[in-house]
Amino acid sequence: MPYDYDEAAPRFPHVFGRRPACRGLRYLRDMGSPVDDWFVREVLAHEQALMRFLHRNWRDHDEVPDLRQEIYARVYEAATRRVPDSPKSFLFATARNLLVDRVRHQRIVPITAVGDIEQLHVMQDELEPGRWLGGREALARLARALDRLPDRCREVVWLRRVEDLPQKEIARRLGISEKTVEKHIAKGSRMLADYFHGGSDAGAAHNPARGVRAWMRKST
Amino acid sequence: MTDKHRQIERDAALWLARRDAGGWADRQQTALDAWLAEDAAHRVAFLRLEAAWQESARLQAFAAGDVAGRIPARGEWARSPYFAPSLGSNRAATTRGRHATLRKRRRWPIFAGIAASLLVAAALAGGFVWRDYTHVDRAAWETAMGARKVVHLPDGSTATLGSETDLHMAFSRGERDLELTRGEAFFDVAHDTARPFVVHANGYRVTAVGTRFDVRREAGQLRVVVTRGLVRLQSARDPAKPPSMLPAGSIATVADGDVAISQVTADEATEALSWRSGFVVFHRTPLADAVREFNRYNARQIVIADSSLDALRVGGNFKLDNSDAFVRLMQAVFPVHAQLQDGKIVLTRKPQAHTAH
Repeated sequence: MPYDYDEAAPRFPHVFGRRPACRGLRYLRDMGSPVDDWFVREVLAHEQALMRFLHRNWRDHDEVPDLRQEIYARVYEAATRRVPDSPKSFLFATARNLLVDRVRHQRIVPITAVGDIEQLHVMQDELEPGRWLGGREALARLARALDRLPDRCREVVWLRRVEDLPQKEIARRLGISEKTVEKHIAKGSRMLADYFHGGSDAGAAHNPARGVRAWMRKST
Repeated sequence: MTDKHRQIERDAALWLARRDAGGWADRQQTALDAWLAEDAAHRVAFLRLEAAWQESARLQAFAAGDVAGRIPARGEWARSPYFAPSLGSNRAATTRGRHATLRKRRRWPIFAGIAASLLVAAALAGGFVWRDYTHVDRAAWETAMGARKVVHLPDGSTATLGSETDLHMAFSRGERDLELTRGEAFFDVAHDTARPFVVHANGYRVTAVGTRFDVRREAGQLRVVVTRGLVRLQSARDPAKPPSMLPAGSIATVADGDVAISQVTADEATEALSWRSGFVVFHRTPLADAVREFNRYNARQIVIADSSLDALRVGGNFKLDNSDAFVRLMQAVFPVHAQLQDGKIVLTRKPQAHTAH
């Protein structure tokens, strides 16, 4: 099933004006906190490698974006307590643990699988130090990402990000409602994020399952 | 398995889009903060989308110099000079894009030669017509040692000139050209996608689109600090060299044709530009660099006579025009001795035996 960027079920929380829910001091940080910066710089930079790892080791590719976000949330939480020394190793260790957890929670886990799971290994290319893309590379990737957006969405993103027009003005110019512009922006931001962080093949189907992955199938 | 994260991502995207719509009130920010604080999953989803969304401003580099309001066709990027030939298509380019013309020449030298001649002829003819009704705004400014000057440019941009700086302006309908022949200047650029804002310095082109940045020349070196927006740094002598894209928080240093870029926080970048308010901020800065900073602003030069002092690390905020205070402080905290010689302040190492008494 292709990844669905449309808002099938708008469930936007009506929280404007709601009082902040102060749950736990560690989240009382403003945007742009050191952990946020660290996360963007040191963790997101490895998304392409992480996606490769997940696609290779998890049979149901539909679940990969969900797994990725769960891993990110775990890594972020851990970093609010103590920032890991080696972000990349920590990211992949977290990924591995999550996959192992998920397999163990399946109803039937063949004994042979567990032994194999412990060895879920990270490929060499995934261990090499990752880095932010060079400017030129990032630009090329963004251009390709933009080209993959649907027509109207692409138009809106261009006018907003490149021409720097306000959403209101874009709505006027394209003769659509501001609400629609907002939806295009929301969708565009998600697609851009997938292509930009995850690389050009983000979300695409990879090699069929092999070895241990065969056991890690969805129980449906 | 749930679709928990997919839904969170949708919500995060809506937050991003709403904030992007403008008219964002404190109340809304509070609500967003609360949502982010609810769950680490909310925060990582939002950070991830926000990072890519911010990065997408880089695409402005393609639009620089293009007609506003024109949305390029899919794949048109390939013809831009940003893409290596391997990334591009081999479609013959129109007159747009020098890069494409060059690529074509390799294939059909004769046709390309003719095409190039036609282009030159067209450019010349166009140029004459153009000159008839276009107007180039020219001006130049300079500052003396220790001076600073704020210049308001005709397009609404401002330039802040540092000590001993020469800046020349040539604004036309198509381009906002500036040349920094000496010194340092900080630019707050008025947004105008139709007219790139280009600063020429040390054989480099520094191009901005609605940005704040600083360009500084010093002894064959060039430094560019970007505090907002995006800047393109490109060698003017060697156009084949790939340009460097500098987002906010970049400090690029060019020496001998090599470009080194370091990413710092916005605060650190701004700190590097504190000269604008007459201050200089050091953090574990080698004494030699600190002295050079003062020497940019003061006629009374400081000379380090003992190179073993070069590596002493200095920290603190100093007034740029008060090198005496700086020197006094150096004498108080370091084994440094200062004396006035031929109108210069000469720093030497204090003899150990002397300090012991």
